Amino acid sequence: DSDDIVTPVSLKCPKADSEKMCVEVISLAFNPEAEVMGDETVRQVYVEYKFCDVPLSETETPVSLRKPRAGEEIHFHFSKVIHLDPLTHAARRQFLRDALSGRGPEQGRLKFTVVSDPLDDEKKECQEVGYAFLELRQVMESGEDLVEQELEIVSPAERAPIGRLKVGVRAAAALRAVCAETQPRAEGAEGAVRKQRPRRQGTLPQPDDPATS
Amino acid sequence: EVMPGSGAVFTFGKTQFAENIPSKFWFRNDIPTFLSCGDEHTAVVTGNNKLYMFGSNNWGQLGLGSKSTVSKPTCVKALKPEKVKFAACGRNHTLVSTEGGKVYAAGGNNEGQLGLGDTEERSTFHLISFFTSQRKIKQLSAGSNTSAALTEDGELFMWGDNSEGQIGLENITNVCVPQQVTVGKPISWISCGYYHSAFVTTEGQLYTFGEPECGKLGLPNQLLVNHRMPQPVPGIPGKVVQVACGGGHTVVLTEKAVYTFGLGQFGQLGLGTFLFETSVPKAIEHIKDQKINFIACGENHTALITDMGLMYTFGDGRHGKLGLGLENSTNQFIPTLCSNFLRFIVQLVSCGGCHTLVFATPRL
Ligand SMILES: [Mg+2]
Ligand SMILES: [Mg+2]
Repeated sequence: DSDDIVTPVSLKCPKADSEKMCVEVISLAFNPEAEVMGDETVRQVYVEYKFCDVPLSETETPVSLRKPRAGEEIHFHFSKVIHLDPLTHAARRQFLRDALSGRGPEQGRLKFTVVSDPLDDEKKECQEVGYAFLELRQVMESGEDLVEQELEIVSPAERAPIGRLKVGVRAAAALRAVCAETQPRAEGAEGAVRKQRPRRQGTLPQPDDPATS
Repeated sequence: EVMPGSGAVFTFGKTQFAENIPSKFWFRNDIPTFLSCGDEHTAVVTGNNKLYMFGSNNWGQLGLGSKSTVSKPTCVKALKPEKVKFAACGRNHTLVSTEGGKVYAAGGNNEGQLGLGDTEERSTFHLISFFTSQRKIKQLSAGSNTSAALTEDGELFMWGDNSEGQIGLENITNVCVPQQVTVGKPISWISCGYYHSAFVTTEGQLYTFGEPECGKLGLPNQLLVNHRMPQPVPGIPGKVVQVACGGGHTVVLTEKAVYTFGLGQFGQLGLGTFLFETSVPKAIEHIKDQKINFIACGENHTALITDMGLMYTFGDGRHGKLGLGLENSTNQFIPTLCSNFLRFIVQLVSCGGCHTLVFATPRL
């Protein structure tokens, strides 16, 4: 009877785990006594990170959420797969290799930035309110994906703790593969340094079919 | 094979089907007429009155005689002599009704949610002797260890866990056989959430009961002391026609609008990025120009079907269960059009704990 069920055969080859990684910005909370909690100019926030040549518009949470209240967590569940095909994304693999050896812009860490997003009726620029750092080497050394890791958020200036950011990183297989490679260093793989912060309007790219098949 | 003109069932999230990658299937000589998603399992009823089950099966809730996970829709052969009409998947059990007015149950039974007079789990479907051909079943619903059957005559029967008053009985923690729940008026719609429940009277009044936290009953504080009894929810203008209860939220369809209340930390209220909890029913402004025909709630997500057969989803975006893509996903805080279905007419949708099933036909 189950023969009466038709499942179209997938034509796509599933990508090997070693050729992609997934980063998830899960949730964030601020410490009740943190200065940002009392700062009335901070009304809503989003989170971004920078990964090699991936456009920044794809590595920032598509929505800004109301600043969490004392004891409250706000939930983004913003998950992105980063493709690491050796042929087309050699620069990203080099970026990871550099990170794992402690080189690169953030000494082997993936840096998350919490940004204050002014409301539409306010004529202000976006403002960085905190940073959180993930040690990529730890992920590789543990050999396991981080389903949920709590990172401390520190203030941009004094680097004082102001809250907690939960992230997930599924990258163990890719990091292992990247490490095993001995390719020459690609030049200019670190991407441009961000300067201006234009106002943003996040949308997610969507596939063509209701279900990929 | 190419998708037939009669359409396909689309799967999103942790369905156990196709390794949890967004996928689809169809029946060779049959079409889906009813879908139900439980916490981790799924039922599909077809036009030929067959029942297909798949998903997690730890309590035998698939009714297939085993407790192993089933990754492909599988016909419940034991029910073949019966004409299956409706199914309701709860957290760990399943209810089924037939054209002849019979009701069967399988799965977890720790609170008597199978209605069989005891608390022993069953991995095959067992007849609930309470229901006979004298009562025509109009709707079934199942929550976290709760069960409900609504008849064409507007009589509501509930059984299972009553620890929070979610089956509307005042002084009892659970009950193993169906009990009538009444407010003295005929009832037209029932929904069991995880730990709360709601029904609609034929007059169009919404009642809620069960776990009172986080505003999910839509009642002012002074009424929460009576949360174990069905109470009318104030503040919803117009006639209510449907209600759907999730894990911590409630979605209400009136003749004119969609109202939500309860917990919305993942966006499941669809009320935007500033309001994450409300006990006061609020209309979803974002879709007020659309005519909504059907609403569905999973634990932390919501789906709406418009009269044009378009689908909007919002809430917890994990595992791609909003049908908006798997590689890039995020919580949605306002109803978001599933643009993948623009060339389809969405006929049916059901939302579960971490998954969503959609039956859609190609738009001609
Ligand atoms: Mg349910
Ligand atoms: Mg969930």
